[in-house]
Amino acid sequence: MRLPWRRGEQPSGPTPGGHVRFPGYDVLGQAPTWDAVTAGVVLARLVPRPACTFFTESEEAAARALADRFLAQDREPKVPVVEVIDERLAHKDFDGWRYEDMPPDDEAWRASLSALDDEARSRSGKPFAELPGDEQDGILADVQDAQTWHGMDASHVWNLWSRYILPAFYSHPWAWNEIGFGGPAYPRGYKNRGVGILEPWEKPEAHPRDPVPWGQWIESVKRERPRR
Amino acid sequence: MSVRERNGSAWLLPNDGTRTNHGLIERMRRYDDDDEVDIAIVGCGAGGAVLAQRLARKGWKVVAFDAGPHWDPDRDWVSDEAGSSHLYWTEPRVIAGSDPVPLGSNNSGRGVGGSTVHYAGYTPRFHPSDFATYSRDGVGCDWPISYEDLKPYYEQIEAELPVAGESWPWGDPHRYPHSPHPANAQGDLFRRGALALGIETKMGPVAITNGRFGNRPHCIYRGFCLQGCKVNSKGSTLITHVPDALAHGAEVRADSMVTRITLDAQGRATGVVYHRNGIERHQRAAVVAVAGYSIETPRLLLNSACSAFPDGLCNDFGFVGRHLMVQGAPQVGGRFSEEVRVYKAPPPEMSSEDFYETDPSKPYRRGFSIQTVAPLPNTWAEHVAAEGHWGVVLREYMRDYVHWIVLGALCEFLPHAHNTVTLADEKDRRGMPVARFSYSQGVNDRALVDASTAKMRAILEAAGAEETLVIDRYAHLVGGCRMARSERGGVVDHTLRSFAIPNLYITDGSVLPTQGSANPALTIMALAARAADLMAGPRR
Repeated sequence: MRLPWRRGEQPSGPTPGGHVRFPGYDVLGQAPTWDAVTAGVVLARLVPRPACTFFTESEEAAARALADRFLAQDREPKVPVVEVIDERLAHKDFDGWRYEDMPPDDEAWRASLSALDDEARSRSGKPFAELPGDEQDGILADVQDAQTWHGMDASHVWNLWSRYILPAFYSHPWAWNEIGFGGPAYPRGYKNRGVGILEPWEKPEAHPRDPVPWGQWIESVKRERPRR
Repeated sequence: MSVRERNGSAWLLPNDGTRTNHGLIERMRRYDDDDEVDIAIVGCGAGGAVLAQRLARKGWKVVAFDAGPHWDPDRDWVSDEAGSSHLYWTEPRVIAGSDPVPLGSNNSGRGVGGSTVHYAGYTPRFHPSDFATYSRDGVGCDWPISYEDLKPYYEQIEAELPVAGESWPWGDPHRYPHSPHPANAQGDLFRRGALALGIETKMGPVAITNGRFGNRPHCIYRGFCLQGCKVNSKGSTLITHVPDALAHGAEVRADSMVTRITLDAQGRATGVVYHRNGIERHQRAAVVAVAGYSIETPRLLLNSACSAFPDGLCNDFGFVGRHLMVQGAPQVGGRFSEEVRVYKAPPPEMSSEDFYETDPSKPYRRGFSIQTVAPLPNTWAEHVAAEGHWGVVLREYMRDYVHWIVLGALCEFLPHAHNTVTLADEKDRRGMPVARFSYSQGVNDRALVDASTAKMRAILEAAGAEETLVIDRYAHLVGGCRMARSERGGVVDHTLRSFAIPNLYITDGSVLPTQGSANPALTIMALAARAADLMAGPRR
């Protein structure tokens, strides 16, 4: 894997898709300061994951496409997300609640992935994973806007996807490198706290950008695109 | 009497850099199932652990059950969000109603210490007005006790946790035993915005040692309060009350899930049925105290239905599992051009209770408080996604994480009879019906959310925020077995003894008739300490 850095700078740690906002920052450089139990849990996220056991092959394909679009993971290196979700569902490692109108999370995942495939087939005659990215986005945008979707409360489907996909991604050290997060902090703690103050090992960002106007523009363009 | 003389927990912890006194647990007194202990306490969190410690000191034979483990912070907890889900109650539950409330990570605990293990550590008192909202404001209901009845216990518990904060100007003005922690980026900006609008803020009140306390060290400002404090700096009952309880002969029976309370022919409690290592057992007890919090306590009483109580124990008037309350807890994020990096400090820092009381000029009754919250990445991602962002836009917001601070409100949602815990048809792996929690907001509730959201946005903008982002959510659970003057009004009396069964107590947040705009932990602990004081003297 090629790591992006410029001459004279410390190499940046890996980030998903190689997006570097904090040049020279690598949260894994702090791993020697972590307690052993935390290091064990966090570093285990970097080793190859076992193959899926919960999802069937077609469910796995739909889940990968869904997670990739949800997180805009369109190039390597990618944070493994589907493997983490599969492991949670296989172990029934749920969040401790379900909506009354939804089945338990493992069944809900199967139902939502099969609905994605049904929806894709009805539109283009192909399963969800085989559609071009913008058509996949179109289906997801419709779920987001719908009241009910394939017999389910659409907001409950969206909620199910979010609460499995997001923590799988944002608990990976590569994602922390991307957002400048300091990661585990025991027993080291922090001494330089306050507005604009950094620890010696933290790195300032290179090109800050207010995400709100940019995000509004992107989302309005996507909304104006004709959808079914 | 000094704190150490009446509660030696902080001095019973090791001072060698490890966090658990293993000898205390190994040498713990252990009772047989056939021993009739003086009290079986169900749940070893905020209420249960305080009760166990107090009664053990009185010479009672105490067994405190907890469904989860007896934690060792060194071995069991991590400085990581996703790695901390084992701190929550993640067994199945069903949520319903027009405003269903997600459970699990935000409002439930599992294991010794209960949710005090992963609460932020905010420990404000209720205001005197909270005890009489019906007479004063015509909403909610009056408590069978007043603030003055609880005040000495607030003072005791604040000294035992101990609580750090500035002199408190709101409610009944009071001081705290530990001086306030320094403000960090989020606190500085909160104060900047509040000052510009003439709103008062104060550091604290947080159950986080400022300086050494016994063998508990100073906070290291690492930002993972909600993942269990590995430092032993934030007070949870695991370290503030359990060690002293063990040293005075209490047994804490971990990994033991109580599923039923048993009664004799005269309608008195005789003990509890519990599951441990997959085996169902029965512990005999002269008194039973339930402290399983607002979902599990009603579930246990309902599941203990028998011929004398066909609708569930203590439920002849339908109050078990009724009047469940959550606090409206909207949050507003504000973007600042400077880097603020909120992960570098305890999430609980600074509060304002300027809007706590009813303002006659407003169309709503009661009020809200505002506090700093400081989400870590997974929580922040959840917030950004809840605003509808995904794909490239979600990623771009997240790359901007270091620029955002977040304020949270606690809005006093009123008790409504239609908000209930009942038993669902679905069963857990033991065969016990799971809890179904149905929740719907009222008109006053929604008005408070809107008002607090507007106020937080104004504060952030006055502090210089360029953008704001609103997150609608809930926090805390109370009610479900309310305390009342008579059995026509609730489940327990002011001593927390049930009206229906003379040797059955409920000593947790489910007894709260209203919830104020304060985090409930301190009040739950104070109520348990008071109940222990009012129980009879030594039993031998």
